[in-house]
Amino acid sequence: MTSDSPLAANVLRSDTTMHVRLTVSRNRGSASYPSSPMGAVALARQTFLDTQWYDAAMRAYRASPDLPKPESDTALDSIQQHIASGKLFIFDTPNEQYALRADSFAKEFGLKILLKGSGQEYQLMDLISKTGRTFILPVNFPKPPNVGTIEAVLDTELEELMHWEIAPENPARLDRAGVPFVLTSSGLSDPSEFVAQIRKAITRGLDPTKALAAVTTKPAELLGVADQIGKIRPGYWANIIIANGDLWDQKTRIEEVWVRGNRPAAAYKNEKDIDGLWDISILDARTLGEPNKPPFEKFQVSIKDSLKKVAATLLLPPLPEPPAKAPAEDAGKEPAAANDAVAKDAEPKPNETKEEPKKDTHRSIKTTATRWSDLTLNAKTSAKELLANSAADPNPEKSESSDSNVALVSMALIGTGDHPPALVGTIQLPDGTQWTVRGTKAPSDEPKKEDKNNDSKKDKDSKEKELALISTMRYPLASFGLESIPEQPQVLVIQNTILWTGGPAGILRDADMIVRNGKVDAIGIDLPVPEGAQIIDGSKYEVSPGLIDCHSHMATDSGVNEGTQAVTAEVRIGDFINAEDVTIYRQLAGGLTSANILHGSANPIGGQNQVIKLRWGMPYEELKFQGAPAGIKFALGENVKQSNWTDTSRTRYPQSRMGVEQLFRERFNAAREYERNWKQWNLAPKGLPPRRDLELDAIVEILRKERWIHCHSYRQDEILALIRVCDEYGITIGSLQHILEGYKVAEAIAKHGATASSFSDWWAYKLEVYDAIPHNGALMHQQGIVVSFNSDDAELGRHMNHEAAKAVKYGGVDPHSALQFVTLNPAKQLRIDKQVGSLEIGKDADFVLWSGSPLSVRSRCEQTWIDGRKYFDRQTDAQMRIRDAQLHSKLVQKVLESGEASGDRSSLADDPSRLWPNHDEYCHHHHDEQHHEEHE
Amino acid sequence: MYQSFVSLYSSLLVLALTHLTLGSDQIPGAPQTKPILIQNAVLHTVSNGTLINHCILLKEGKIAQIEPVIAAQESYEVIDAQGKHVYPGLFDSLSYLGLVEVDSINASIDNAEVGSLNPNVRAATAFNPDSEAIPVARANGVLFSLVSPTGGLVSGRAAVMQLDGWTWEDMTVRADTSMTIQWPRFGGAQGRGRGPRGQRDAESGESESSDRLSPLHEIIRETRAYMKAKVSDPKTSIDMRLEAMIPIVEGKTPVMIVANSLKQIQTAVAFCQLHGLKMILYGGADAAHCSQLLKEANIPVVLSAVYRLPSRRDAAYDSMYALPAKLQTEGIRFSIASEGRFGASGVRNLPYNAAAACGFGLDPEVALRSITLSPAENPRNSHRR
Repeated sequence: MTSDSPLAANVLRSDTTMHVRLTVSRNRGSASYPSSPMGAVALARQTFLDTQWYDAAMRAYRASPDLPKPESDTALDSIQQHIASGKLFIFDTPNEQYALRADSFAKEFGLKILLKGSGQEYQLMDLISKTGRTFILPVNFPKPPNVGTIEAVLDTELEELMHWEIAPENPARLDRAGVPFVLTSSGLSDPSEFVAQIRKAITRGLDPTKALAAVTTKPAELLGVADQIGKIRPGYWANIIIANGDLWDQKTRIEEVWVRGNRPAAAYKNEKDIDGLWDISILDARTLGEPNKPPFEKFQVSIKDSLKKVAATLLLPPLPEPPAKAPAEDAGKEPAAANDAVAKDAEPKPNETKEEPKKDTHRSIKTTATRWSDLTLNAKTSAKELLANSAADPNPEKSESSDSNVALVSMALIGTGDHPPALVGTIQLPDGTQWTVRGTKAPSDEPKKEDKNNDSKKDKDSKEKELALISTMRYPLASFGLESIPEQPQVLVIQNTILWTGGPAGILRDADMIVRNGKVDAIGIDLPVPEGAQIIDGSKYEVSPGLIDCHSHMATDSGVNEGTQAVTAEVRIGDFINAEDVTIYRQLAGGLTSANILHGSANPIGGQNQVIKLRWGMPYEELKFQGAPAGIKFALGENVKQSNWTDTSRTRYPQSRMGVEQLFRERFNAAREYERNWKQWNLAPKGLPPRRDLELDAIVEILRKERWIHCHSYRQDEILALIRVCDEYGITIGSLQHILEGYKVAEAIAKHGATASSFSDWWAYKLEVYDAIPHNGALMHQQGIVVSFNSDDAELGRHMNHEAAKAVKYGGVDPHSALQFVTLNPAKQLRIDKQVGSLEIGKDADFVLWSGSPLSVRSRCEQTWIDGRKYFDRQTDAQMRIRDAQLHSKLVQKVLESGEASGDRSSLADDPSRLWPNHDEYCHHHHDEQHHEEHE
Repeated sequence: MYQSFVSLYSSLLVLALTHLTLGSDQIPGAPQTKPILIQNAVLHTVSNGTLINHCILLKEGKIAQIEPVIAAQESYEVIDAQGKHVYPGLFDSLSYLGLVEVDSINASIDNAEVGSLNPNVRAATAFNPDSEAIPVARANGVLFSLVSPTGGLVSGRAAVMQLDGWTWEDMTVRADTSMTIQWPRFGGAQGRGRGPRGQRDAESGESESSDRLSPLHEIIRETRAYMKAKVSDPKTSIDMRLEAMIPIVEGKTPVMIVANSLKQIQTAVAFCQLHGLKMILYGGADAAHCSQLLKEANIPVVLSAVYRLPSRRDAAYDSMYALPAKLQTEGIRFSIASEGRFGASGVRNLPYNAAAACGFGLDPEVALRSITLSPAENPRNSHRR
């Protein structure tokens, strides 16, 4: 409770919830684990497993006390008790995707959770409502972006505009979708805005009764104090607020606040009441008890921001007519005044005479050291200026007190209920003179509001305009977002095309391909057209399988590296697939249909990968490639030994290729021992149960051939070393990534059975890639290695077909085999070639229509299909550009007409997808403009 | 002796030009000793269209004759180019060739100086003729490059280099051809890389931007004052930086301004007009947003690459691929460069940058021109010192 009583008396109930955050602060540094959201989730997962283990171990110990006593751990113990007593966990969710991830995480461990929302839940409403979770919703609706200049408009993202427009509807929409929630003032820079923001949500459709429940009964229920607070009811705490009308009415003021039957001093009266203009009268003026005459009888005080850094300004009445004493000055001033008059000639004369003296002589004095606390306003002000009016020439008087030039102001706020508020107090001058002052709210404040009310018609119109949404829903809620998932025609026929099958059939001319329910159903010449089939005239195109990128970092919003430790096998890229990354769309437009999303190369054993299909417009779980076997990122050489780091941060083992090789052996040995312990336990569960270790779990899977290694590698020595280590442990490497010196040890690679996923022609960005040659791919291919070219890059991933063509140029690979470098071969490397990679009967209908040969730099991707659904089409793209540009203009106009002040920070700025890099920042070939700026 | 290298227009990329490929990559081609006749080629003259089945005669390093038929003489070395194409040597409009060897190794990098105003430094003098990147670029037909310093505000003086020769002096086609200036950034989308971002321009953006430009205004004013001082007092001590700025201020040597956002381009053009500077725009991501300005001010554009990501989240996926075609339609002079994203190692991909734009509407003839004649036409790029 928020009374003034000592803290303990205010506690209704402690230990109600435990807070969980599946992320970490950006720029936490690379010194301590975890440094990324992926790492944070891995740590949380391990912690909850440890809790289970701790519980089991303690029980085992209690059952047979002769066992070694598990080391007591109060943290795990308290988590265990929290779970056991069925208490709530609150998960922080920075956006709607994080909310779904938190839900999955809670399911994994059977936790009862509340989700602290982001205000973006409406963007994935269906899935959010399916979680059945209760949300703690913020009402810090975004301020509009700055659209004050043409450049600013150009730089304003549609997403930000749409979110500004729709966000205040978030509570109402969740309510309509049946999502339970309570409201929080969290995120508001000024908590006193809470009521105003809830009112905004109500004007945007939130049921007022639900709103009231969301800040009274519902939170009380959630926190298990519904028998004490949340209602006005006999026996409940007397926590009440008194308002002068319906709480949710815009005009209603909160008059009083009571906590536990008391009025906390600070809540005695709405403090904001002192904000505004006050008419102050000097009732009395005395020096050492002797009355004297103040220079003026009335003045005004303007008070602002009483809740924060209060500012008060004294507005003194006009100066008296200049006395005749200073004619010289007057003479000097006159021409200026005349000029003014000339300048104002255009204005009507009567106004001029009225306004001029006011404007010119009205002086304002700012106060300093201003404080508003305990219902009293205290401030200092300049006595010199205050008294300047008392005489035309203040100098003689001032000479006595010129050193002490400070007047003190102290005024208390009085007036309750029916009595209008008043400020009563004293102004003390340097010579001890005290003015007794009393002020009331200037009437000029009120009429202004009434003026507005008079224009209620105008207000109504603008309100209706405000309520009418221009934005239409799509996913992602941004440019190029889809209003619905592309439909899947039951039967689709592409006729008379040049078909690059990617399979044993090679390139077929005048070919037809029939797609049924998302799978390739038939390929041949002059195939009969099934009834009701959708037909594409393929004579305008050449058709290839959808391209596959075996090394990508797109579609992530949790960082790509958990590089704090040399081994982070427990980290999973799949925990943070970001379906809203526009890179997905851009690469679809280049014919890409599947990608291997890999952890970065910061450490010898990195995180687990996630293969995705580029199903743009689908939520992230739908992007995951079903049936793709598990994999993990390994890395060798300069990046993992931190060669290109500053010397001071180069402390982590290993710092040489020698150490890297040994590290693998050490971890494989540890995993074997770990596996042995578990086997033993499963056979005969005696003693304390072994602890599950997610890092070793993943490495055991490698040893069991259930998880494929995808290893970043460049130099022939390190490649060979890894092959030898893996040979010893009976591991077959899934793919060697980059592998720029693979051509030097191609025989050994082939013999081991590893595949090779290389760059077509990148080189020289660091020392270990200086001996790279563009013929590498062709040479390895000629040695019988399954070779692919990958992108590792958001731009390169948009034209993988150009990269494939380089295998023809450098090394003379035949065109169809070269195209396989970016279709069938990466599919083989990822062990998904039974589903994708070539156009063969029974495989997924993932294909691209090209304007010409897919190997020509001058060809263009016209359409990209995945599972027999058209996810990209140049024509649709052109329509979306118009749709989005029009919406953008309208929303900019709406912002301009709203007159709302823009926020000084983009509402997108803190979104995880903007905070975390989605490229491997440890790789030295990323020198594009954006990254360059980062270093500035 | 190698200073009598063929002039820019006559250096040819011929697939079968044997004397360039004899021996090690690093041994420069010997001067031409006898006339060379290439017969039956498809000749892409660029300046005069494409000539099918033509002959071209080379004498003393220059193009002597282009005819459908030129009779071979005994003294000629004859190359039968049946089924082959002959192009002018490709010209990268800006690269760090010879200045950067391995991106991650400081010891191998010489393209940026300390401090923000380095107009006096000269790329030509630090050009490493033995860079491995040079024969690699040459093997893909790139025979010339404007080699530029980078970093700071005024980065220094760029030079047009030919990509074959023993020393940088041999290889310098023209030194000090332009002054490279990195235009200040003004926030907005262009300034929003990954990482903490989203801070908006202050409402009073004006004072902010003039602050950022003030060092540039200042150096121009200083140069003018310095020039006056030199006239009035011949003993005025030499200021090397201002000395280097004199031909810029006089409008004799162009400034190559690296700018991408609309605001950068607008302010750069206005700045150059104000001070009477001759401007070339490098980068130019937003060039299509201010095409009228570029046209009126007659500013040639060097697109840093075609393989670039859109500069804004909302921009069309092909906005950079289609930009050359847009500039072509707008009638803006432009050339295409290979982008310094990979130091100097990516120069060999220059032709693909131009070709990729053809898939998005650029006339193939114009594409070829953008990596041959157009860069050569940029002010001061074309004539020997």
